Amino acid sequence: MSSNMRGLTVFIADIRNCRVRELEEKRINKEMANIRAKFKDGNLNGYQKKKYVCKLLYMYILGWDIDFGHMEAVNLISSNKYSEKQIGYLGVTLLMHENNDLARLVINSIRKDLEELNEIYNCLALHAIANIGGREMAESLSFDVHRLLISPNSKSFVKKKAALTLLRLYRKHPDVIPATDWAERIIVLMDDTDLGVTLCVTSLVMALAQDNLEAYLGCYAKAVDRLTKIIVDKEYSLDYVYYKVPIPWLQIKLLRLLQYYPAPDDRNIRNKLHNVLQTIINNSQDAPKNVQHANAQNAVLFEAINLAIHLDCESQIVNQAAVLLGRFITSKETNVRYLGLETMSHLAACVDSLEPIKKHQDTILLSLKDKDISVRRRGLDLLYSMCDVTNAKAIVTELLRYLNIADYALREEMVLKIAILTERFATEYQWYVDIILQLLSTAGDHVGEVVWYRVVQIVVNNEELQEYAARTVLIHLRSPSCHENLVKVGGYILGEFGILIANISGASPMEQFNTLQSKFGMCSQPTKALLLTTYLKFINIFPEIKGEILSVFNRYRHVLDSELQQRAAEYMAIATMPADDLLQTVCEEMPPFPERESALLSRLHQKQSDTEDKRTWVIGGKDINKDRDTVRFSTLGSRSNSTDSKSKNETVSNGNNNNGNGELDFLHDLEGLDLSGQNGHATTSKPLPAGFITPGSERWFGKLLYNMEGVLFVDSQLQIGIKSEYHGHLGRFALYFKNKTQTTITSFTTVIEHVKNLLITTPQQPATLISPSGQIQQLFHIECQNLFNETPNIRISFISGTLHTIVLKLPIVLTKFMEPIELNGPEFFTRWKQIGGGSREKQTILQSNVPIDLQGLHSMISGFRYGILKGVDPNPYNIVGAGVLHTAQGGMIGCLMRLEPNVEAQMYRLTVRTTNESVTNKICVLMEPQLTNNSS
Amino acid sequence: MISAFFIYNQKGEVLISRLYRQDLKRSVADIFRIQVISNTDVRSPIITLGSTSFFHVRHDNLYIVAVTKCNANAALVFEFCYRLVNIGKAYFGKFDEEAVKNNFVLIYELLDEVLDFGYPQNSETETLKMYITTEGVKSQRAVKEDSSKITIQATGATSWRRSDIKYRKNEAFIDVIESVNLLMSTKGTTLRADVSGQIMMRAYLSGTPECKFGLNDKLLLEKDTSHRGLSQRRTNAVEIDDCQFHQCVKLGKFDSDRTISFVPPDGEFELMRYRTTENVNLPFRVHPVVNEIGKSRVEYRVTVKANFSPKLIANNVVIRIPTPLNTASINIRVTAGRARYVPAENSIVWKLPRFQGQSEATLSGEAELSSMTVKKAWSRPPISMDFQVLMFTSSGLLVRFLKVFEKSNYTSVKWVRYMTKAGSYQIRVRKFFIIKFSY
Repeated sequence: MSSNMRGLTVFIADIRNCRVRELEEKRINKEMANIRAKFKDGNLNGYQKKKYVCKLLYMYILGWDIDFGHMEAVNLISSNKYSEKQIGYLGVTLLMHENNDLARLVINSIRKDLEELNEIYNCLALHAIANIGGREMAESLSFDVHRLLISPNSKSFVKKKAALTLLRLYRKHPDVIPATDWAERIIVLMDDTDLGVTLCVTSLVMALAQDNLEAYLGCYAKAVDRLTKIIVDKEYSLDYVYYKVPIPWLQIKLLRLLQYYPAPDDRNIRNKLHNVLQTIINNSQDAPKNVQHANAQNAVLFEAINLAIHLDCESQIVNQAAVLLGRFITSKETNVRYLGLETMSHLAACVDSLEPIKKHQDTILLSLKDKDISVRRRGLDLLYSMCDVTNAKAIVTELLRYLNIADYALREEMVLKIAILTERFATEYQWYVDIILQLLSTAGDHVGEVVWYRVVQIVVNNEELQEYAARTVLIHLRSPSCHENLVKVGGYILGEFGILIANISGASPMEQFNTLQSKFGMCSQPTKALLLTTYLKFINIFPEIKGEILSVFNRYRHVLDSELQQRAAEYMAIATMPADDLLQTVCEEMPPFPERESALLSRLHQKQSDTEDKRTWVIGGKDINKDRDTVRFSTLGSRSNSTDSKSKNETVSNGNNNNGNGELDFLHDLEGLDLSGQNGHATTSKPLPAGFITPGSERWFGKLLYNMEGVLFVDSQLQIGIKSEYHGHLGRFALYFKNKTQTTITSFTTVIEHVKNLLITTPQQPATLISPSGQIQQLFHIECQNLFNETPNIRISFISGTLHTIVLKLPIVLTKFMEPIELNGPEFFTRWKQIGGGSREKQTILQSNVPIDLQGLHSMISGFRYGILKGVDPNPYNIVGAGVLHTAQGGMIGCLMRLEPNVEAQMYRLTVRTTNESVTNKICVLMEPQLTNNSS
Repeated sequence: MISAFFIYNQKGEVLISRLYRQDLKRSVADIFRIQVISNTDVRSPIITLGSTSFFHVRHDNLYIVAVTKCNANAALVFEFCYRLVNIGKAYFGKFDEEAVKNNFVLIYELLDEVLDFGYPQNSETETLKMYITTEGVKSQRAVKEDSSKITIQATGATSWRRSDIKYRKNEAFIDVIESVNLLMSTKGTTLRADVSGQIMMRAYLSGTPECKFGLNDKLLLEKDTSHRGLSQRRTNAVEIDDCQFHQCVKLGKFDSDRTISFVPPDGEFELMRYRTTENVNLPFRVHPVVNEIGKSRVEYRVTVKANFSPKLIANNVVIRIPTPLNTASINIRVTAGRARYVPAENSIVWKLPRFQGQSEATLSGEAELSSMTVKKAWSRPPISMDFQVLMFTSSGLLVRFLKVFEKSNYTSVKWVRYMTKAGSYQIRVRKFFIIKFSY
């Protein structure tokens, strides 16, 4: 194609022959004038336009400003020739940025190309969207892109591009993409047979799932399945094997994706995951052949270890991994050492016992002297994470020693970490004071304000520490070179607690004052201001040196700095007042600071950006990560019941309080730190829409409330049947899915939305395919742990032509866990009276819509698992029933009922008495609609 | 002083590299290439990186670079660089990449001679030619010269002149060459006008002549008139702002009584350089009218008037009228000369080979503009001119006399020639917007 464009070839040759920039500029100017003249003329055919746009693009990529020709490029897009269209798109993507006004003109052309049947045009259009990607474009085209992604007619490479285009749009404008609405259809694509498509879709799902954990829950099972297929079953196309490792990128993405979710409850999934992880670790035993193989293998391995730690940090696999990591951190390769240390930090951040890591403490300390700074950083992180009361002293001493020779880039972080560790693990206060003062004097420049604020807080709050601190700080102040931060601490502490040591020789008031005054001259303005305040306090506690101090104040009443001047003048006025009252009130001892989370921690945890791949853990001990997990997973499960989500929300805000969010205002007053990083979590718990139930299913659901088997749902494609049995608090049921169409149903997935206190597990995921007219079944186990309010939903999605999603209520209600009992009349009445009336009884009068069928009524009541007691009630039409509700943890609840039907008036009187008032209500609510609507 | 000396071509390749002191490594050449030649932003002739200063001069397609680590006299370093260019020109005719590549041995030899431990030494071309010779360089007497004589001369009182020169016809040519710089505002006021001139002399005089030279320099004349007790201002005295002389001029005498007396070197040399800023006679007046009509058209009407005597003629007059960067096509009519649109320079180039004094020429034309995506205002660069006017000095400087005294008292013939060239002669263009009203 380009060989035809002679003009372009000649032009490029000319430019290349230009020896100097001046000549090139001349040639460019000439060519631009030529193109301007040609474009102005108009009447160009497609070929000419293409040629000139090409020339402009060449100039553009050489770095010249191009401010015309955009329209021509836009026109080329709508051409019918591929070569012209391609250059048009190239021009548009290169010359336009997202906010360009002309980008608006392109949207319609792009949409037209997205709708073309020619997949190459689709790809060009997708490419343009991903490259320009403005808001307007995202708003108007994301649906078309999504359509291309999910359309069964799209070729694999179109799907790949569409997935990545959506990913890019989502990262840029997360609010434009209806992530939750699309969840089903996108997750389904993870089952695509083409691994390339799976890889692209997984990238997309990763980004989407991070922010919509609940909606994308379905991806969990799919990811586990896919991993099993690749790693255990070795089902993959040979095209995707990279140096003997099958599609490592997908593996890593899936392993990472699984880390976004909490560990699964389902034993079956757990086993599968365990298998996968074990296989990965076993695979890593064979020595890699070359660098690429090692890279791929290690990448997968590290991610797998991270997942294993995330799932259960006490498991056998993690133990194996810990051993492996020990080997990795001594590796010769820098990358491996780096990753080893990082993963070990993750381990340290999660496990309860740090023993396996402590074995490597010497190696880790050595890594502080690594030649690569990023390894040193990770070493520092790990040391910080693995620190506990037992090894804190050793580690802190080592870090302090290393601080003197550390890189400047690393020092501030080190100082911060040393300060935190010292504070957290200090067993005796003297040690704390010693270390911190040493820190201040050795690495003064790198100590942030926060550190010394904290020191002051702690000293003020701990009375037994005050005298020691004052004494030590005075000694430090006497050393000839002492840092300004130390002077600040000294000024504050001596001002407050100088009186405690005034009787010790060498620390008399005069000496204290002289020590501070000797440093005064070298300090900056804020420190001087602080010292002036200290002097005022001295006047209060040591009246004998008032004269000296007043002369200092007097001198500073005339300095230029307004702050110092004001302080000196005001202090002077206070000190020279005839009465001491005001002075004493002003200089009263500082009240203890309110206890709070160290501000240092919040400083350490940096803010993360919105749509990037988030880390699933932070550097630091177990407690921090636990809090974070609660916050992170709080969005999960909030859909299933509202009361639960409310309590979860409370824990969310609590969690944030622990992270320092609660004292936002307070902290801001003090140091104006950036705490906004912590705010991010609060916004993640947004309310989810109430559960949507596929209409029409209520009818079957009602019947199944008092039947053990029957039809759960029927439509033109699928018929679902259910069989169930219950024994006490346990039960199991099987779902039968029958394909009523003549085509194969694919990507068949079921997800049960869990309900509090009700445990539903499935030993096996059903097959993902249902052949025409075929049937599959899925078995579930249920355990009622305690009283539950909600009915669990099952979400079924499958592709039969297009994607279908059915959400059904499962007929699992409280009454199912009742066992009928036989009682004779007197027994019944004793119990009836025992329960008594009031809130434990509920009586309602109901008007039935259909004639009352007494026979049906009996079977319904026994279907509600009441034992029907004959001959208890004198009226033979009345039905009396008794049962016991079993729960695993809530114990047993007796349930009695009496139903008095009035056949003529089509009325009932229902009286229910149970030993628990909420159960009473619940049973009434369940039975009433069944009685009134269909008594047959 | 100078620690190293380099010559680069335009691409930044080192052609000549000579180190004079130990404080630099040869690799310092790369630093200059990266920091200056490859960097399009830096156009300052001096750049100091760390404690190293680079002085550079561009000539033709060469960079002549002196490097120093100490606080050298910048003026002296630059003077030396220009002097070296002159030496090169004198030796090779022209001093460009080709000449340097063909003569690099000779250039190293010259560099050894003119700089010693980084201190500039004798850089007088004629003297150098006596003892630094190659086949390519014509130096008529060099071969005959006795080496002892060279030493005497090179170290003597008049190192620039031998004593035994003989001509049958004693002649002296004086060329006064001025280049006039102008920047005129859009309103027609002069923002900056100055003249930098040089007086070139070619002396073909026998023996050791003592020359006295007189100009219509204001200071000198005023002193003269005050001596005579007259106060007349009708002599068109010129106020010379600053001037510098060839080393042969006796500065002591100039300081005491403003006379320029000297023993000239043989052949061509630059006697003096000067600058004036007062009363500059502008040879050309330009009246540009540039109207932007809407956003798609620009109309030009440029009139040029020659301001000098009708007896004189300007040659090679070139007027460059910038056009907007988005010009698509241009239509021009001129009353004299030829004009055409040169897209490579984004300007209309109007050439008039001859321009009679007091005459006038007009260009009128329109430029059609193409639309731009990003509306950028046109920066309206100034119109610039190039020309040469013979026998005219913008400063009004005249040579009053040149007297030659020699022991043998021969008579000599003196020729004086004047020429004014355009330096940077620019006229800013006023902004006219004509807004069309549509009803």
